[in-house]
Amino acid sequence: MKRRTFLSGSAAAAIASQFPIRIASAQDKVIHFSMPQDFTKVYTFVTAEYNQGQRDYLTLVNGRGGINGYQIIADVSDHGNDLPRAIEAYERAKSEGAVLIDPLSTPVARALVPRALADKVNMITAFSGRSDAADGSVFPYVLPLSPNYWTQAGLLIDFFRQKDGDLSGKKICFVHIDTPFGKEPLPILQKLAEQQGFELVAFPYTPPGNDQSAIWPQVRRARPDWVMFWGAGVGQTVALTEAIRNGLPMDRMSSSVWISESDMEVVGAEQAAGVIKVEPCASGREPKLIQDILSEVVAAGKGAGPEEKVGTSYYNYGVMLASLMVEGVRVAFEKAPDGPVSGEWLNAGLRGITDFDAEGLIPPTTVTPEDHQGGGKARIGRWDGGKFVAETDWFSANQDVVWEEIRKYSAEFKETGK
Amino acid sequence: MFYRRAGIRHTRYQSERQIWPLPFDRGLVIAVFLLALAAPFLLDRLYLVGYLLPWVIWSTAALGLNFLMGGAGQIHLGYGAVIAIGAYGSVHMVRAGVPFELAMIGGGLLSALVGIAFGAAALRVKGLYLAMATLAMQYIVDFVIVHFPSISGGTQATIQVPRVSFLGMPVVGDASAYYVALFVCVVVTLFMLNVKRSSLGRALAAVREKDYAAAVIGVNTFRYKLLAFWVSSFIGGVVGSVLAVCYYRAISPDQFHLELSIQLVAMVIVGGLGSVLGSFFGAALILFAPILLNQAIGLMASGMGFDISADLRAHLPLMLYGAMIIGFLLWEPLGLAKIYANMRNYFLVWPFRHARQ
Repeated sequence: MKRRTFLSGSAAAAIASQFPIRIASAQDKVIHFSMPQDFTKVYTFVTAEYNQGQRDYLTLVNGRGGINGYQIIADVSDHGNDLPRAIEAYERAKSEGAVLIDPLSTPVARALVPRALADKVNMITAFSGRSDAADGSVFPYVLPLSPNYWTQAGLLIDFFRQKDGDLSGKKICFVHIDTPFGKEPLPILQKLAEQQGFELVAFPYTPPGNDQSAIWPQVRRARPDWVMFWGAGVGQTVALTEAIRNGLPMDRMSSSVWISESDMEVVGAEQAAGVIKVEPCASGREPKLIQDILSEVVAAGKGAGPEEKVGTSYYNYGVMLASLMVEGVRVAFEKAPDGPVSGEWLNAGLRGITDFDAEGLIPPTTVTPEDHQGGGKARIGRWDGGKFVAETDWFSANQDVVWEEIRKYSAEFKETGK
Repeated sequence: MFYRRAGIRHTRYQSERQIWPLPFDRGLVIAVFLLALAAPFLLDRLYLVGYLLPWVIWSTAALGLNFLMGGAGQIHLGYGAVIAIGAYGSVHMVRAGVPFELAMIGGGLLSALVGIAFGAAALRVKGLYLAMATLAMQYIVDFVIVHFPSISGGTQATIQVPRVSFLGMPVVGDASAYYVALFVCVVVTLFMLNVKRSSLGRALAAVREKDYAAAVIGVNTFRYKLLAFWVSSFIGGVVGSVLAVCYYRAISPDQFHLELSIQLVAMVIVGGLGSVLGSFFGAALILFAPILLNQAIGLMASGMGFDISADLRAHLPLMLYGAMIIGFLLWEPLGLAKIYANMRNYFLVWPFRHARQ
C-alpha cells in the first residue's frame, strides 16, 4: 500500500504542478516579463546577480506605482541551459501572455530566434545570442540592447590606440576559449589589424578553460604590448591567474564585460590591480538608481537576494537591462497609451528608446528599428585592487567595421534563414 | 482484472506470436495511438510543443540507443554526436535543395557511416574501454563541427532550417511538425517491437548475453555488433534530422554536446534496458521531471509563501531530481518498464497474489 500511495501521490503532484500558475491576476493591469535563465549549469557565474538586479529594479518601479498604473511581473524560472526546458519555458511564457523574454544564454537565444520572430515576442539577448541581431531590420524582435562582442573588441582596440597613440607595429595577443563565442571577435580584430597595422596573435585554449598552463608561457614569450583574454566563468579567472604567474603586466591585460569583482577575489584582488574591462554600465553603488534600490527596496526588506551583491558588476548589468526594458514599456505607453499590451506594442516602445541613460547608470542609449545595439557605447574600467574605476567616458569606436560584419551575417540570415 | 486472459485460445502459431496477444493490451495501444493522433486538436499549444513533441522525438532517440545498449549490450556515450551528424547532414542537404524525405534518410546514412567507422575501431575493445572510445567519438565530432565554419555556419555558429515539406505536407506550424515526428517514432517503434522476433534480434541477444558463447553457436559477433552500430546510428541520424527540422528549427553545436548523450543513456537505463515501453517512460522522466519539479518548487515558493532564496529555489529541484532517479533505480533496478510490468502482472492474476512469470 505504501508504494501505491507514494505512486499516486507523486502522480497527483505531477498533475497538480501542470496547472498554469496564475498569480497577481486579481488586477488586470500587469505586464509579464518572462525570465527563464540558467541558474544551475553554465551561466551560474552571472545569473544569480544579474537576475537579482533585474528583480530589485522591477520592485523599485512597482513600488513607485509601476508604469502608467501597470505592475511589471517577472516570471523567473531555471532553464539550466537545456533547450527542451528553455523551449518549454518560452511556450509557457507565451501562453501566459508574456510580452518579453530574457533567457540570458547564447545557445537558448540562438535556438529561440526563429520562434521569437514568428511569434512576435520580444527577446532580450544582452551579452548573449547572435551578434548580428543588432541589425533590427532583419531581427525585429531580437534585442541585444547592449554592445555586442564585436563592439567590445572594437572598443578595447580603440582604447589601446588612445593610450599608445598609434598601434602600428604593436603586438596584441588575443587569448580566447576555443568555442564559437571565443572566436567571435576574430574577424573584427583581423580587420582592425589590417587597418591600423598592429600584429594580432590568437591563442585558443580548450573549453571550459580550467587548464591554460600551456598557453600563457607562449603569450609571455610573444612579448605582447596588449593582451585581450576572452572567455566566461572559470576560464577568466584561470587566465588571469596564469597571466600573473607568468609575470605579464596587469595594466596591459584586458577583457570583455565578463569579468567581475568576485573573479578578482578568486584571482587575488591585489595582484590583479590594473586589469581593464569593458563596462557597459557604471559599477559600484554610486549611481543614483542603485542608491534608490538600496533605500527603497533593500532597506525595506524587499531585496531579491543578499545585500552585499548590490552594486557588483553583474548586478548592475541586471539593473541596466531591466531599466531599458521598463523604459521600453514607458515609451510604448507614450506611443499607444491604451495598448493593448502585446509583443508588437512593446516592440514599438523598445525600438523607440531615445537618449535614455538610467539616471547616469548607463551610456545615453538610443535604440532604433535599425540599430538594436543601442549605439554601441561603453566605457573602459580599470581594477584598482578594490573596485573598477572608469578610465574613460562613455564612447563608441570602430562601429563602421562592426556594422560591416553585422550586415554581412544578417544579410546571410535574411537570405537563407526563414 | 483488466488484462483478462480467460477465453483466449490461440489456434494458430501466428496469433500466439503476435506482439500483443491480449485484447486489453491491443486496445490500450490503439487508444494511446488514437490519442497521440488527436493530440494537436485536444491539447493546448504549450503542451503540444513544450511536452508532447520533445517527448516523441527523445523517445525515438532513446529507442535507437536502446537497440544498441539493450539489444546488443554495447554501451555508447557518443549518441549525441550521432544525432548531430544526422542533424547537420540533413539540414545541409535540405539547404542544398534535397527534398526533406531524402535528406532525412541521407542524414541517417551519414550517421550510420560515421557511426560504423567509429564502431569498427571501437568494437575491438569492450565494456569500459568501449565507453571511452565512444566518448572520444563525441568529442571528435563536436570538435569537427565547431572548427569547420562550413559545417557549423560561420562565427554565429547557427544554421537556420529552411521550410520543408514531408510527403507533400508542408512542415509549418506545430501540428505538422508533430505528425512528422510521430510518424518517425511509430516506424521506429514498430521496428523495435519486431526486431526481437527476427533472427537479427536473436543474434544480438546472444551477443549481448555472452559474445564468446554466441561465437560458439555460430554467430559472427563482430559482424552483428557492427550491424547493431549501423542500425542504431541510422536511427540516431534520422532522429537528428527530425529534431532539427521539427523542433529546433535552428541548429548550433552546443545542442549536441555530451549532455545530450548522457541524457539519452540515462533515459535508456532509467526506462529499462532493452524495453520499448521503457524508452518512452525514461524519456518522459528525464525530460520532464526537472521542468515539473521546478514548477512545483516555484509554486511552493511564490504561491504558498515559503520564503526560500533564489539559489535554493533553483537548486532544490536538481537535488530532488537526483534523488528521484536514484530512488527509482533502487526501487526497481530494471527500470520504469519493469515497474509497469510488475503492475501488469499484479492485475494479470488478481485477486491472487503471485504471478508465475
